[in-house]
Amino acid sequence: MLEVRGLEVSYGEFLALKGIGFTVHEGELVTIIGANGAGKSTILRTVMGLVKCRRGEILFKGRDISATPAHQRALLGISLVPEGRKIFPDLTVTENLLMGAYTQQDRKTIDAGMEEAFKLFPRLRERQDQVGKTLSGGEQQMLAIGRALMSRPRLILMDEISLGLMPIYVEETFKVIQNLHRQGVTILLVEQNARKALQAADRGYVLETGEIVLNDTSRNLAHDPLVKKAYLGGA
Amino acid sequence: MWFDDCSLLTGFNMLWQQLANGIAIGSVYALISLGLTMVYGILRILHVAHAGIYALGAYVGWFSFRLVGDFWVSLLFGMAGAAVAGYLVERFLYSPLLHLPRIAPLIASIGLFIALEEAFRIVAGPHTLTYNARIGLGDLSIGSFKLTETQILILLVTVVILIVLWTFLTRTRIGLAMRACAMDAETTSSFGVNVGRIIAINFILGSAMAGAAGVLIGVYDNQVWPTMGSIPAYKALAIVVLGGLGNIPGTVVASIVVGLSETFFIGVLAIPFPRDAVAFIAMILVLMFRPYGLLGKA
Repeated sequence: MLEVRGLEVSYGEFLALKGIGFTVHEGELVTIIGANGAGKSTILRTVMGLVKCRRGEILFKGRDISATPAHQRALLGISLVPEGRKIFPDLTVTENLLMGAYTQQDRKTIDAGMEEAFKLFPRLRERQDQVGKTLSGGEQQMLAIGRALMSRPRLILMDEISLGLMPIYVEETFKVIQNLHRQGVTILLVEQNARKALQAADRGYVLETGEIVLNDTSRNLAHDPLVKKAYLGGA
Repeated sequence: MWFDDCSLLTGFNMLWQQLANGIAIGSVYALISLGLTMVYGILRILHVAHAGIYALGAYVGWFSFRLVGDFWVSLLFGMAGAAVAGYLVERFLYSPLLHLPRIAPLIASIGLFIALEEAFRIVAGPHTLTYNARIGLGDLSIGSFKLTETQILILLVTVVILIVLWTFLTRTRIGLAMRACAMDAETTSSFGVNVGRIIAINFILGSAMAGAAGVLIGVYDNQVWPTMGSIPAYKALAIVVLGGLGNIPGTVVASIVVGLSETFFIGVLAIPFPRDAVAFIAMILVLMFRPYGLLGKA
C-alpha cells in the first residue's frame, strides 16, 4: 500500500533522512523504532506531505505522491496522528472530530464515524462539548486517534502516541491500536517505546540518524542483540 | 461641564445620545478591525493595507452610487470591490512573501497602503467627495432621544454582518476549517483542508467587511477622501491588540469599548483631548494589566 524509496529530506543544511526505503502492505501494522532525533517523525510528516522531500519516491497504492500537497493526500486516504497530539485547543471535542471528517461529504457517514469514535473512547462522549485544551493528556491522545479515524483512512500514520502518557493510558492506547489492526486498518507506527511497539507490530524497521539499519519481523527484532542493547534497555 | 448649563434631564438625554454615537462608531471600528484580526489569526501578519481596502470600499461605493443612485446597491458594490481587492492583495502581494520573515509582508503592506492613498488621489482627485445618499430608513425619535438615519443604518448593517459572520464560522464546514486554521494551519491541512483557499476566503470576508465600513463612514460623515484610511489604519491595530490578536469576539468588544470611550471622554466629559488618542491610551492600559487582551486568557 505504501512504498518509500530513496527518501531524502533536509532541513537547511542538515540531512534528516539519508535515502531511506520501506514498505507497508495492506492490513499490516509496521513500526519504525529509533532514538530521539533519528528522524522518525520526519518520515511520517514527509509521507503526510507536511515536509517536502528532496529526493526519492513515495508510492501510495502504486502512485507517486511525493509532489502531492498534504490536503490531497488526506483525500487519497492517508491520515496522521501527529506527535504532540495537536488537538485544536479552542474547538470542542465534537468540532475536533468534525475536522477529522473534513474529507467526508456524507452527513450519515460523519455521524456514524462520530458514533464509532465515541464507542471506542466513551470518555470523549462525556467530554464532547468541552474544548480541546481542557482535556487531560490521555484524553487528548484518544481524541487525536479518534479524529484521525474520522476520515475512514486507508493508512494511518501514528507519531509517538505513547509520549508523555501515564502508563495506564499507554496500555489502553496500544490496545486500541491492536484492535484497529485486527479490524484490518493499515498502520505505520513510529515509537520511542520500542518494547510496546514491537509487541504490537507485525514488522519493524530500526532507524538510526536518518538511515534504516535493520529491517525484520517484530519477533526477530525483539530478539536482536543490537536492538535489545540499544532500545529495550540491555539484556 | 455639561451640568452647569443644562438641566439634569437634558444631561441624561445627552448621555443616551452619546451612547448611541459611541456604539455606532464602535460598530464601524468592529467592521474594520475584524478583517485585520482574522488575517493576523491565520497568517500572523499585520495587514496595514487593510485600511486602504476600507477606503477603496468607500470610493467604489461612492462611484457606484453616482452611477446607479441607489444606496443599497452602492453598499453591495463597495463590499464586492473591497472583497476583490483583498483577494488580489493576498494572492499577489502576501502569498509570494509568506516564506520570508514577517517583516517583509509588513513593509509590503505599508507600501501598498501608501500607494493606494496616492491612487485614490490620482483617480478621484485630492478633494473630499460628498456621499449624500438617501437611504430610506428615516430618523428615529423617542422623546428627545434621537437616532439619525445613518446611525440606524450602521447598527443594522453591523448586526446583520456580525450574525452572518458568526453563523458562518460556527455552523459551516468551511467556517470550522477557518477557525481550525487560525489555531494550527499545518494540522488542518493534514485533514484535507486546502489552507490556501481558506486564507483567500479569509481575505475576501475581512475585506468585504472593511468595504462596508468604508461605505458606512462615507455616508455617516458624508465624505470620502483619499487619506480617510490613515487614522483607522492605526486605530484598528490598537483595537485588534486590545481584543487579543486574532480573537474575534474580543475584537468586537474592544471596538465598542473604544467607540464608547471616545464619545464619552470627548462628548460628555468635554475633556480637551485628541479623540484619536483614546484608543491608544486604552491599548497601553490594557497591555499593562491584561497583555493578552480584554477577553483573552493568560
